[in-house]
Amino acid sequence: MDEEPERAKRWEGGYERTWEVLKEDESGSLRATVEDILFQAKRKRVFESHGQVRLGMMRHLYVVIDSSRTMEDQDLKPNRLTSTLKLMEYFVEEYFDQNPISQIGIITTKNKRAEKLTDLAGNPKKHIAAMKKAVNSMCVGEPSLYNALNIAMQTLKHMPGHTSREILVIFSSLTTCDPANIYDLIKTLKALKIRVSVIGLSAEVRVCTVLTRETGGNYNVILDESHFKELLMYHVKPPPASSSSECSLIRMGFPQHIIASLSDQDAKPSFSMSHLESSDGGPGLTLGGYYCPQCRAKYTELPVECKVCGLTLVSAPHLARSFHHLFPLDAFQEHPLEEHKGDRFCQACQGELKDKSVFTCPACSSVFCTDCDLFIHDTLHCCPSCIHRQGTS
Amino acid sequence: MEFYTKETGEKNNFLALALSSRKNLCIHPEVSSLRFGKEVDGKCHSLTASYIRAQRHSNPNQPVCRFYEEFDAVGRQVPIPSGIYNLDDLKAFGRKKGWCPYYLARYSILHANIVVYSYHYLLDPKIADLVSKELAKKSVVVFDEAHNIDNVCIDSMSVNITRRTLDRCQTNSLLNETDAAKLREEYRRLVEGLKEANVARETDIYLSNPVLPDEILQEAVPGSIRTAEHFVGFLKRFLEYLKARLRIHHVVQESSPQFLKDIYEKVCIDRKPLRFCAERLRSLLRTLEIADIADFSAVTLISNFATLVSTYSKGFTIIIEPFEDKTPTIVNPVLHFSCMDPSIAIKPVFERFQSVIITSGTLSPLDIYPRILDFRPVTMASFTMTLARTCLCPLIVGRGNDQVAMSSKFETREDFAVIRNYGNLLLEMSAIVPDGIVAFFTSYVYMENIVASWYEQGILENIQRNKLIFIETQDAAETSMALEKYQEACENGRGAILLSVARGKVSEGIDFVHHFGRAVIMFGVPYVYTQSRILKARLEYLRDQFQIRENDFLTFDAMRHAAQCVGRAIRGKTDYGLMIFADKRYARADKRGKLPRWIQEHITDGSLNLTIDETVQLSKHFLRQMAQPFRREDQLGLSLLTLEQLQSEEMLQKISQIAQQV
Repeated sequence: MDEEPERAKRWEGGYERTWEVLKEDESGSLRATVEDILFQAKRKRVFESHGQVRLGMMRHLYVVIDSSRTMEDQDLKPNRLTSTLKLMEYFVEEYFDQNPISQIGIITTKNKRAEKLTDLAGNPKKHIAAMKKAVNSMCVGEPSLYNALNIAMQTLKHMPGHTSREILVIFSSLTTCDPANIYDLIKTLKALKIRVSVIGLSAEVRVCTVLTRETGGNYNVILDESHFKELLMYHVKPPPASSSSECSLIRMGFPQHIIASLSDQDAKPSFSMSHLESSDGGPGLTLGGYYCPQCRAKYTELPVECKVCGLTLVSAPHLARSFHHLFPLDAFQEHPLEEHKGDRFCQACQGELKDKSVFTCPACSSVFCTDCDLFIHDTLHCCPSCIHRQGTS
Repeated sequence: MEFYTKETGEKNNFLALALSSRKNLCIHPEVSSLRFGKEVDGKCHSLTASYIRAQRHSNPNQPVCRFYEEFDAVGRQVPIPSGIYNLDDLKAFGRKKGWCPYYLARYSILHANIVVYSYHYLLDPKIADLVSKELAKKSVVVFDEAHNIDNVCIDSMSVNITRRTLDRCQTNSLLNETDAAKLREEYRRLVEGLKEANVARETDIYLSNPVLPDEILQEAVPGSIRTAEHFVGFLKRFLEYLKARLRIHHVVQESSPQFLKDIYEKVCIDRKPLRFCAERLRSLLRTLEIADIADFSAVTLISNFATLVSTYSKGFTIIIEPFEDKTPTIVNPVLHFSCMDPSIAIKPVFERFQSVIITSGTLSPLDIYPRILDFRPVTMASFTMTLARTCLCPLIVGRGNDQVAMSSKFETREDFAVIRNYGNLLLEMSAIVPDGIVAFFTSYVYMENIVASWYEQGILENIQRNKLIFIETQDAAETSMALEKYQEACENGRGAILLSVARGKVSEGIDFVHHFGRAVIMFGVPYVYTQSRILKARLEYLRDQFQIRENDFLTFDAMRHAAQCVGRAIRGKTDYGLMIFADKRYARADKRGKLPRWIQEHITDGSLNLTIDETVQLSKHFLRQMAQPFRREDQLGLSLLTLEQLQSEEMLQKISQIAQQV
């Protein structure tokens, strides 16, 4: 058999049974199911509250992206690789938004080899740029789970004990080509307390099941694109820290942003320390910036680890943003709309309550609509009505 | 066990044990190292037979088995402590106490609550007489995995005699150099007490008579073979006759009365002495004090044949073929004495025991079993599987992407397009199914042809990029090696395909749990080889005696094997797997209707006669669905019940609904 030419056209693509999700109700209408699907999709992301557990706030995460032949499969549009990288861009942004004092690195694996796309770093721009470049790369050969995990492990094992060490594998292939017994590697990973989670793009593979079970990670397989995104977003939240991890005090610097105007005679443009090594040019000389309180090295962006004295430099809002993980907002109680008595208006957006259910804050018993409930839990992390009361009292 | 003790709050005296052959249970260092069951039996016998042990009294150098001695000395007084013993437990227990586990198990059967052993211990008349004779009438007999029970019954009553068997008889010392004095001595003893004492019975079990109606046992051995010399002469004559019969060049098929008539005319052997052949040989061998009975298996076979052929006039047929089917040019005559009627072997079981339960996961259609086994069932019920999620996905693939029908039927089996489509199906599946795939072909020959053709077309090479390929062969050692490697490949993420044959070792005995079998593909419908004369004779008999049409029986047989094959993939509620029937004919109602109910109810109209592309789409969807986390709580109330739920009225009603009375 000769190789099939790459399927480029939509009509040449695979068979899809999109109609199977839909079910008619008694009157033969599809509306109920469609609405239900939409509603479910909205509600899906309501998280199970951790309660009071210790969370690993400083995370070191390596994301392994499979770039093997199977990534060219078109069941995600336009193909798996493009779709994955696009979602990853979103993931990286979201990750740094939620975990400002954490770092991320990207590894790709193809052709039985694995290579680092980016090192562990706290700068989202660099990762996103690297991934944009990677979109056009070829997907060939088989992935090697062993090599990829090994590379990640080599770096992660030097990370300090109070940080969480994680690997997230996005695995599209159903096979892996390993140079040695992977079960030995899994044991080593377990000993090093590296948590490995896997998101499968095609089906459940045994070796991943074992890998995640042993190292305490999650294993999920995607159903479709939106489910994929949801699973990725699950990894944005910091995982509960293992009780055995070390506790230590960390010195942090809070540099002030000094803005020097061009008109100021004393101001001299200077290089940022973080740009010294990068050869891509970028904005070389700038006037203002953040100065390390310990050694006065200049940086244009935060958070960063000082190249000179090794101090972790953050800004106060960063820490504050990490703070809500520790005190998550309780989930609101859900009631059917019919049972709800009182005003039919959402406390937040003042819109009329139209959805099937309404949500009540357990603390102040204000009523919210589904959209606002999601917004409050995902973005605000505090109940506006409660805050309002505090302000007035 | 502990759980029950805790729950009920009292210690229960419950004994369950497994019984197997000496080969599996022996702990004697020398004997257990032998490879073949027959050798082990022979060696064991030479160490434990009563006369050997008697000799030891006079000659202390005579080797005996110390485990048996120990057991014989003390083991009988103290019953084995209650508990549940499998083979390994028995061996461990035997080692600890220094008792022979085999005889311990044999002895403990008498007071055990549950005994687990092979069908043969009950069905095969030669063994059943010894092992299962003392079971109480009130015992409940459960035949589990009984979808093949008719074949087991038939096998246990059939005898195949080749020229090699006869040659081995010929060279046997018994028939050549016979010690006249010993023979005379033997006769003297025989006259002294025709009825053998039961004392030595337990150990001297090596040969026993096939099922004989009791009245024959009561009768005295006829005069013509009463003296040993005469009997040996008689056997020689019989042997010569058989050899003469095998010297033919065309196929002969005759019934047992015909055979008896012929033998009477040719060599003047009467029916009555023939009947006693097996019994007589047994007593002869015992008195001759022959230690190693393994050498005598050929003679025993002949004498068993003699007894069977003269006892039953109905339900048996004799087929003498000068050639084997595979090699039609080489003369290799075989005499098949084959049983046509499975009910003969199972009849004593039905008569003897109060309740007999026949059960299997793939017992369908139910109504054919009472017909071929000739019994009237008290109750019949088929159960579906209660599943919290649809964890099986039977798909019937009828066409390739080029719309050419896929089928293994004889006319199209050499068709290039069909073979290519089968190859494409396997290729596509290998790309989307994780870990292990098991593919079943209808026969070894067919598999070889197809695989060779795939190799030429380059399909095999493409498949190998996705998964490793392993092949089941007729060699047991090679197959178990392939299986081991297959499991290793599934385990470490490489993925593998096992190509095997329906009715082979893999299809019957080996489970592919979880990742070892995510998909099973049946290439074609596994019909039996219909040209075989034995099968033809059997079909004819079924039609004449039970009014079962040939086609019905063949389809029934094919479908039970197909169900057996695909059933390998799902071995539990948390397991899941694809079942792909790659033959157009499966879509037909007569085939589909013969699949077990738990498979049938998952075949929707949408999964009939699919193309390869559609199959791939459906499978992908299914595999993703199944990979979603599945927790114990999800099953609760559906396929897993708590005690309260189990006792609730509603649930009991539901259960009685599920059990479909037939």
